[in-house]
Amino acid sequence: MSTNIKVDYQAEKGGYYKVLIGLLILTSITFIQPSMFLTDATFVVQLLIGLIKAIIILFYYMHLKGETLIGWTVVFAVSVVLFFFSIVIFDVKNFQFVDESHISSAVTSAGSPTAGHHSSHSDESHTTSEHTSSVSHKATHSEH
Amino acid sequence: MSSHEYVPEIATTRDGVEHEVQGWQGDFYGGKLGFWLFMLTEVLMFGAMFMVLTYYFTLHQSDYIDASASLNRVLGGFNTVVLLISALTMGLGLLKMRSGDIKGAKLMIWATIFFAFLFLGVKAIEWSLEYQHGVFLGLDALQSGNVHSKPFGQILFFGMYFTMTGLHGFHIIIGIGLMLWLLKRINADLVTPEHHILHWNIALYWDLVHLIWVFVFPYFYMIGADAGGYHIPDIGSLFGGHSNEH
Repeated sequence: MSTNIKVDYQAEKGGYYKVLIGLLILTSITFIQPSMFLTDATFVVQLLIGLIKAIIILFYYMHLKGETLIGWTVVFAVSVVLFFFSIVIFDVKNFQFVDESHISSAVTSAGSPTAGHHSSHSDESHTTSEHTSSVSHKATHSEH
Repeated sequence: MSSHEYVPEIATTRDGVEHEVQGWQGDFYGGKLGFWLFMLTEVLMFGAMFMVLTYYFTLHQSDYIDASASLNRVLGGFNTVVLLISALTMGLGLLKMRSGDIKGAKLMIWATIFFAFLFLGVKAIEWSLEYQHGVFLGLDALQSGNVHSKPFGQILFFGMYFTMTGLHGFHIIIGIGLMLWLLKRINADLVTPEHHILHWNIALYWDLVHLIWVFVFPYFYMIGADAGGYHIPDIGSLFGGHSNEH
């Protein structure tokens, strides 16, 4: 089969370098995005960039381009993962046991009203210490 | 019919000529397909871990973002580029093998091994820094009488961080072992330009390790990058200094 087909190194190496440059550009976008654009949606943008990188790697470095059978097998497996992902996300978005569960947002939200995504860096240690006192208070309380 | 009776397996050519099958060693496509199936089990395993990560991220968003902001993006980013270049050397090595340049292929595999060790070295520095900061699993709790100095969500974040980067690092170590084995097989003339399925599959494995990092890196390092504006982490902490987190 294809194992006997010899390839021309000089003719094909250019493709590898092009992919490398593309991946490097996407990686640099990863670094500047949080301070440059779409800063309200960092998580989604970062994972989207990751997805584009993954598709490039799969198609060119892993030679999936043109592989019909293996390609669809991969699509199927990833779909199974995504299916369970969507169920879990739906479930946790509607989390019902905040009051009963000790992993609930008791620490996250009740710990400090100032804790949030956009707390400035200098505030972080302050926030952490507030968390600490609330946690240690909780721990002491539960011992009694 | 006795169960021990030998039943020959027959393969038929396109022209209808039958041949008794002696072995499947030359089955390039079968070898490739089998390895892809193995890689899909890896996708399911890491997929489950990402699911746990996402579950807790949804419950403890601000804690996760605070914890992510404290990771060292310089070292993590450096490792991302290292892994990217190692994927290139691995791919070029396979290309050289397929084009008949065995010496060049071996050189590229050695280069990939070098980058793999570089990755592990940087990871070791990173982990030791985080160990000093007390974010290594429950270390701070052990030292302070079971009172965590961090919010619950951050403890979950760091637990997942050490588990997933640790498992990824374990894959890197396995990859180094596989590449050394590949070099041994090439030297023994068992992997040749005509029969390079082992090289092909190990290159696929290395790409998978790279692919996992493509998602591990943004999920752990970048989600908190905008918390309080972007800043380059304290370089001094690389050399044993204290970070501004504590």
